[in-house]
Amino acid sequence: MRSDAAIPANDIPEGLFELPLTEGRVTPGSLDDQVLSFPETKPPKQWYIGLAITLSALFTGLAFIGYTFFTGIGAWGNNSPVFWAFDIINFVFWVGIGHAGTLISAILFLFRKRWRNAIARYAEAMTIFAVMCAVIFPLIHVGRPWLAFWLFPYPNQRALWTNFRSPLLWDVFAVNTYFSVSAMFWYLGLIPDIASMRDRTTSKFRKLIYTALALGWRGAATHWQHYEKAYLLLAGLATGLVLSVHSVVSFDFATSVVPGWHMTIFPPYFVAGAIFAGFSMVVMVLVVVRETMQLKNLITMRHLDVMNKVILAMSCIMGYSYMMEGFTAWYSMNEYLHHSFMNIISGNYGWAGWLTISCNILIPQILWFKKARTSYFWMILVAIGVTIGMWFERFVIIVISLHQDYLPSAWRIYKPTMVDFGILLGTFGLFFTMVLIFARVLPVIATTEVKAILPGAQPSHHGDDHHV
Amino acid sequence: MSETSYAVLGMFDSPDALMQAIPKVRATNLGTVEAYTPYPIHGIEEALGLRRSPLGGMVLVMGILGAITAFGFEYWISAIDYPIITGGKAANSWEAFIPIMFEVTVLFATFTAGLGMLLLLNKLPLFGHPVLSSKSITGITRDRYALALEAESDAFDSAAAARALQEAGAVEVEVLPAPERSPFLTSDFILRTLGGIFAACVVSGLAMFFGTKWFPLLPPMRHIEDQPRLNAQKASAFFKDGHGMQLPVPGTVARGYLPTATGTQEQAASLVNPLPRTKEVFTLGHKVYSNRCEVCHGALANGVGSLTAAYGGKPANLQAQQFRDYPDGEIYWAIVNGKNAMPSHAPYLTDQERWAVVHYVRALQRAQNAKDEDLKVVAP
Repeated sequence: MRSDAAIPANDIPEGLFELPLTEGRVTPGSLDDQVLSFPETKPPKQWYIGLAITLSALFTGLAFIGYTFFTGIGAWGNNSPVFWAFDIINFVFWVGIGHAGTLISAILFLFRKRWRNAIARYAEAMTIFAVMCAVIFPLIHVGRPWLAFWLFPYPNQRALWTNFRSPLLWDVFAVNTYFSVSAMFWYLGLIPDIASMRDRTTSKFRKLIYTALALGWRGAATHWQHYEKAYLLLAGLATGLVLSVHSVVSFDFATSVVPGWHMTIFPPYFVAGAIFAGFSMVVMVLVVVRETMQLKNLITMRHLDVMNKVILAMSCIMGYSYMMEGFTAWYSMNEYLHHSFMNIISGNYGWAGWLTISCNILIPQILWFKKARTSYFWMILVAIGVTIGMWFERFVIIVISLHQDYLPSAWRIYKPTMVDFGILLGTFGLFFTMVLIFARVLPVIATTEVKAILPGAQPSHHGDDHHV
Repeated sequence: MSETSYAVLGMFDSPDALMQAIPKVRATNLGTVEAYTPYPIHGIEEALGLRRSPLGGMVLVMGILGAITAFGFEYWISAIDYPIITGGKAANSWEAFIPIMFEVTVLFATFTAGLGMLLLLNKLPLFGHPVLSSKSITGITRDRYALALEAESDAFDSAAAARALQEAGAVEVEVLPAPERSPFLTSDFILRTLGGIFAACVVSGLAMFFGTKWFPLLPPMRHIEDQPRLNAQKASAFFKDGHGMQLPVPGTVARGYLPTATGTQEQAASLVNPLPRTKEVFTLGHKVYSNRCEVCHGALANGVGSLTAAYGGKPANLQAQQFRDYPDGEIYWAIVNGKNAMPSHAPYLTDQERWAVVHYVRALQRAQNAKDEDLKVVAP
């Protein structure tokens, strides 16, 4: 930690001077008391109301999934030629939401952005929950989910193997790897925190659970040495992974021949969109967490400000990508590509195209102003706008491209059914139920990581900022 | 202090105090020096003289192994064991194997980093460690820093160790007794169990592979082929004549094959059309006529069909007086037995269809030779 006494502030240009990461006086002990006491207190009434709402949504979704299993996926709106609709839109949407967590925990870790420490835990948890929501959709879309294990290449009596040239199989590997790695990363980060909870709790029942989960962590220097190395390696691996996962998801589209899908820009465009949507969701949840859990001194306005800057940067990348789509359509001189692009801005679903553009490109521009970046009203407005906009972006890519392809005789207008909406609602219910439960049972802030960056946490003779 | 103590813990209130104490305590050579801290302290590895973590090398090796495993598996399946051409690409189109190879590399590397750190290097889980049951642990995982002198042999002098720690600046000192019982779920146990399961899988897998290879005559479940049953041409002692399949009783008629119109055409003249003259019957007759009769006899039954022009045959003009005078039975006989060049239609038409055609032919004849009184019938 760079102490104010060691470096005179007037030697450093104002923009480069690093603001404190926490507000007020925070010590390792007070941090534990503030963050780790949540699981031991009784939740407030609002929490139960929130849980009742999210659980209702979850059970609604479960009922609609049950109905789908009972009647078959004909209960959905998909039909020739729009065979992929809500299920794949929602899959791509939720996988994308997850990307913010990995970005914060891995890429910002490698860049030594120490502000990430306070929000990394929640963002990682949201990654895991979002991927859980995402995998539901391909599973139920296969029609017979009890046979979904056929997706894995295992020796079987039918003497069949999977097709390794199919991007759909790449997806199976990418999403499973992503989930396993995220869960591993999350759990490793939790171990020292759970050890702290184990040693402070007075309840025998909690002590038993925390003891089992902490694996006997005792904070030995020899352990920290390997632990830090493992964390660094995981961050490096997860960085490559997070870039690959949504690229692989985009291959589902880009390797096909459907006009509007077959584009080389798709992998980076999908990754940027995923980070964009994920950060918006993180901002939305963090504002609520910060307000309701009295964490304003740890999740400061500075965190939200920086997050909103990332959202703004991603919005600009998205704007560039949309323009490139138009440019590609024009420059290719391919009438099918041209038609599919015109469909986005003036076709049957032109409203969805314009909704996407306004929510993703126009509304976030307000974040150029610092006032908007630090105002709840504007950041929530932008976050909700981006969430809607990114969902519709996948709608635009999938439904608009499919509903009119090469063969005009096969064109068809797609209409979702009640079941489609119900299952989407159910995954939102699942996601926020998990978010709420997580807030009450596990430390929402990585206390160990924040302790290490508090003032005076590191020996003074080692005064550079090379620590985490 | 007894000789069964495991270690002596000295507590410090700040990382600076801890770092300053380490070289002093190490210089006493009383035992192994270990620090316990709530979060990683930088520079402590050098102060304690720890060797660099070998995790990076382990992860690299396992990552490469993951890449080779995935690529080899994909190549073997796609190009050797199950070469199905998809998307017009060659069976050994290795470029398509890259994404999964990357994912599996990351998977192997991640699990090596995570589990290798926990199980192999840190020997966790370890629930029975003396530090965990010490009074100091609540401080260690919260905001205090401990330095431990751990016993290397039975000659460990805990009193001297406590003194050394106090001299180095420890605010509190705690002597940890040696654990009374061995911990129940250690990383060694988990690794051995996992190793045992893996070995059992390999052994049983190889046993099954070679078992089925060397003893291929033991077929798997084939009960469905072993049911007692009689094939049509097989002998059977059950019947007197020893045949597996018996002839039907004399006089048996198959369903839908009632014998009709046997004998000569004259004999058939007395047969009466059993079908009523309803719209359904005429519709059926029309359908059958246009399928079977029209190509030769023509749509108007006047012997001018589409085949006539092509092949030059001379099918009967059913509008001729001779045929109009035929009784129903004689037309029926001709359909069943064929006449002149016309083959028998019996194999293709049911009895009902034959009679329906007779009705329809009669209707065609009457339509082509309508009289005035026929119009009156139609008029309302």
